[in-house]
Amino acid sequence: MSGQFRPSRRAMLKVGLAGAATVASPAILRLSAEAQTGPIKIGLPLALTGALGSVGQQQKRGAELYAKLQNAKGGILGRPIELLIEDTAGNPANCVRKAQEMVERWDCRLLTGITLSSEALAVVPKLAEWDSIFISSDNGDGRLTAESLVPNFFRANISGPMGTRAVSLYLRDSKLQKFYALGLDYAWGHNSVQVFEQEALKGKKEFLGKIFAPTGTKDYSPYITKIRQSGADAVFLVLQGDDNNAFLSQAQQYRLPEKVKLLTEIVDLASIRAVGDASLGLIGSSRYSFTYDHPLNNEFVALWKKEHGTFPDTFEGEQWQCMKVFEAGITKAGGIEAAKLRTALEDIEIESVKGKVHIRKCDHQGVQQGFMVEVVKKQGFDTPVPQVIATFPGESTTPTCNTMTFKD
Amino acid sequence: MRGATRLLIWIVVALALVLAPLGLPPFAMTLLTEAVILGLFAMSLDLMFGYTRLVSFGHAAAYGLGAYACGWMLLHTGMPLLFAVFAAGLLTGLMAIGVGWICTLATGVSFSMLTLAFAQLLSAISFKWTSVTGGSDGLAGIPRTIGPFGFAALSSKTGFYYLALGCLVGGFLVCSALVRSPFGAVLRGIRENEAKTTALGYNTRLYKIAVVAVAYGLGGLAGALYAPFAGFANTELLFWLLSGQVLIMVIVGGAGTLIGPVLGAAFFMLMEHQLSALTEAWALYFGLIFIAFVLFAPQGIWGLATTRLRRATPIARRP
Amino acid sequence: MSTLALLLTQSVSALSQSALLFFLGVGLTLIFGLMRIVNFAHGALYMLGAFVGYSLSSWSGNYWLALAGAPVLVGLFGAAFEFTILRRLYRRDAHAFLMVTFGLALVVGEAVRLTWGSDALQVAAPPLLSGVIFLLDEPFPVYRLFLAATGIVMAVAIWQFLERARLGLLIRATSQNADMASALGVDIKLIRSCVFGIGCGLAALGGVLAAPLVTASNGMAATVIIDAFVIVIIGGMGSFLGSLIGALLIGFVQVFGNYYAPDFALAFMYLVMLAVLVVRPGGLLGKEA
Repeated sequence: MSGQFRPSRRAMLKVGLAGAATVASPAILRLSAEAQTGPIKIGLPLALTGALGSVGQQQKRGAELYAKLQNAKGGILGRPIELLIEDTAGNPANCVRKAQEMVERWDCRLLTGITLSSEALAVVPKLAEWDSIFISSDNGDGRLTAESLVPNFFRANISGPMGTRAVSLYLRDSKLQKFYALGLDYAWGHNSVQVFEQEALKGKKEFLGKIFAPTGTKDYSPYITKIRQSGADAVFLVLQGDDNNAFLSQAQQYRLPEKVKLLTEIVDLASIRAVGDASLGLIGSSRYSFTYDHPLNNEFVALWKKEHGTFPDTFEGEQWQCMKVFEAGITKAGGIEAAKLRTALEDIEIESVKGKVHIRKCDHQGVQQGFMVEVVKKQGFDTPVPQVIATFPGESTTPTCNTMTFKD
Repeated sequence: MRGATRLLIWIVVALALVLAPLGLPPFAMTLLTEAVILGLFAMSLDLMFGYTRLVSFGHAAAYGLGAYACGWMLLHTGMPLLFAVFAAGLLTGLMAIGVGWICTLATGVSFSMLTLAFAQLLSAISFKWTSVTGGSDGLAGIPRTIGPFGFAALSSKTGFYYLALGCLVGGFLVCSALVRSPFGAVLRGIRENEAKTTALGYNTRLYKIAVVAVAYGLGGLAGALYAPFAGFANTELLFWLLSGQVLIMVIVGGAGTLIGPVLGAAFFMLMEHQLSALTEAWALYFGLIFIAFVLFAPQGIWGLATTRLRRATPIARRP
Repeated sequence: MSTLALLLTQSVSALSQSALLFFLGVGLTLIFGLMRIVNFAHGALYMLGAFVGYSLSSWSGNYWLALAGAPVLVGLFGAAFEFTILRRLYRRDAHAFLMVTFGLALVVGEAVRLTWGSDALQVAAPPLLSGVIFLLDEPFPVYRLFLAATGIVMAVAIWQFLERARLGLLIRATSQNADMASALGVDIKLIRSCVFGIGCGLAALGGVLAAPLVTASNGMAATVIIDAFVIVIIGGMGSFLGSLIGALLIGFVQVFGNYYAPDFALAFMYLVMLAVLVVRPGGLLGKEA
């Protein structure tokens, strides 16, 4: 799977968009008067049930807490925030239908919280026709800011390539020399493994090989055997959800971590809880962790604990940050009208729970620090926690504009 | 008076469908268009399932193949919408001859599992053949190309609705004609007692292959309509879940009636959409609704509707 | 790793996987063999078993209790469902069963999510089974050996049950000819409830055994339902021995196939099924052609 920039496809996309925009809709959907002055509606067509339900539920909680607290302060620009939350069950057809309903029926022009990258990719080409802005809070697919980029798409979260890059930068100074990679057999998995391979070679490391497992794999023994046999010092994992949990549990049962260090692109609390001690020693990039030491994060974590009695997990924090980006953009634009909001969001910079976030004008990616964490046992916590072991400045972890590659 | 009442109802429904764009708000039209497309999809399965008792667990293969074929043509060739849609449907029907030939080697549950195997293999291919199908990303941003003959009207929201409606009506006419013809009589013979039909001298396997080809062709047409409607085609359209859902649409609508499955598809989609807007636990109620249908309305929606209308013997399909 | 060690560890892994697949398949095939019901809810019941197992083991601190308790509880639930709902449908079309089991799958799936939440839950293997043994110097999980052993033991037990036990004989007789059995005084209604309950219980057993390997999660049902169907079809719907053969075949094909040709991982199962059905349309040991 190529991570290269494919101009012909992008050109086709542009032609398609132009065609769709001018012909498929009567005229660009006008914002009603009510939408211009009434409550600010933000739509979240989430996967609340199904295999990725736990991610969608996190996004929901993150958005709801934000809306609750912000409305207590008078909302944004004095207008209350109204969240439209619906369940897509992780199906792109449902997602497009629900997003379209939010736009056409409820005049909601701000979208976020689309859980699956496949859903996001289906929605994104319609944003122009809907005259709506979509800010992603969890979609990691590199393509969304590369060949699939559309003007109304923004990404507030850390992408797959960015997480992989953080891991690679961390490894440059480490003694580990030989690497193998295991990814899920779909776009994100292939994409991140490819980035890792390129980065490993740049860092003068040996890349021994890679293997991909279909989502829904229940038995990881052949993959574990392959990894063990490769002779690698460490294996880079691009897995998530149930597959991640199954692999980590089984790898521990086969005592793989004793021989091969486990590195991963995403570390989250839900996984740690699901596999327990099998996660100890795991090192990886974190998109958000409650253990980041930053005044805004400490404040957020305290608020979260008060509301939910637990620590916020990866996507809860990412969604919170995303809502803050919305807030900053809407405040700067003085409204929610797409053209104005788009201009306001481009080049905007906020201070967030992860530190400084700057939305790049060229590809709408939020440039932000990269964090490396290690899962360790800590006093006072009954499950292992992801402890920060390194941070990297945003400029070095974010790919060059419109691509999934890095300069050095 | 039965005949006249029935005709009147048909006219009213037809008028309502044709005039819908004038009265309905934009999102209602979006839903209606999707319902029409799904209706065509479900109706195509009814030919196999309701009339010939060929239970397919893999009908999503037709839908997905049609969607990908049409989507690819619209994205990579300059083919206008109308041609792409019909070409994709035709292509699916032709490929289904091969599928039908292999699947009809078996009967009963084995036949069903073979159809599933094809759908899953097709799904695996679409997942892996990234250069053509876009892999797990699928094909996105599918345009509604106007083309040299100026079918501009079809590409607009309303125009596309009429295209889909036209395909549904056309498909219905084709299916109706088929089931009323001698061909249809043989299908019913196969459904009721295949051994006997073979004994009467019919090559039942050929008939089965033919009905599979037509059913997949129409299902492919539905998929081909979906791709430019939604603007994307992806592996979910080939997934076994969709195959299961369309089967349920046919049963809940009323198998073996052609109209029933169309209503079943609309019902399924609308129920899912509305329930999921009301509660996160929508799947629970959704499942209970189907169990309730089995227990209390075995003839499905169409059966309920016609019983009410006629108060005579319902359109019963006896085992 | 030497080739011998590789083959040995892979084979035992495959055997453990086959055991899980067997539990899934044997329940499905028994139900179909007796009642001609294609149970779409089988995956959901497997999942229910895993979650009930989670609750039992975390409440009692004892995995063995979960292992024994979950299949029994889910089996009872299955029998109750048969008694109240399925019982009314035997005179009807097969359509009825398709839709009712589809509905059941939805209901059970969502009920699990409402009860236990959306997050995956850890079900730890008991300390006794958490270690490793060394096969030709390669570490191998004791738990997987336990799975393989359980599979073998249960396969023999079920076989003997069907061959010798009174209920087993009645089940086989009713599967072959329900009317005749009924005429001979067999209480078919009771047999049906028992078989549906046993089928569900076996699926749940598969789930609770799989949980330490894959965690108890909401996505479980979807990942196993197709596997269950494929195994049973390959072996022949309604054939106990067929489900065993199917499970072994698929278990080995997947483990070795995913190792040597990972690109085809998605397709192996279906290619095997296609090959078998083209040659023997009823499945390897099936009667229905």
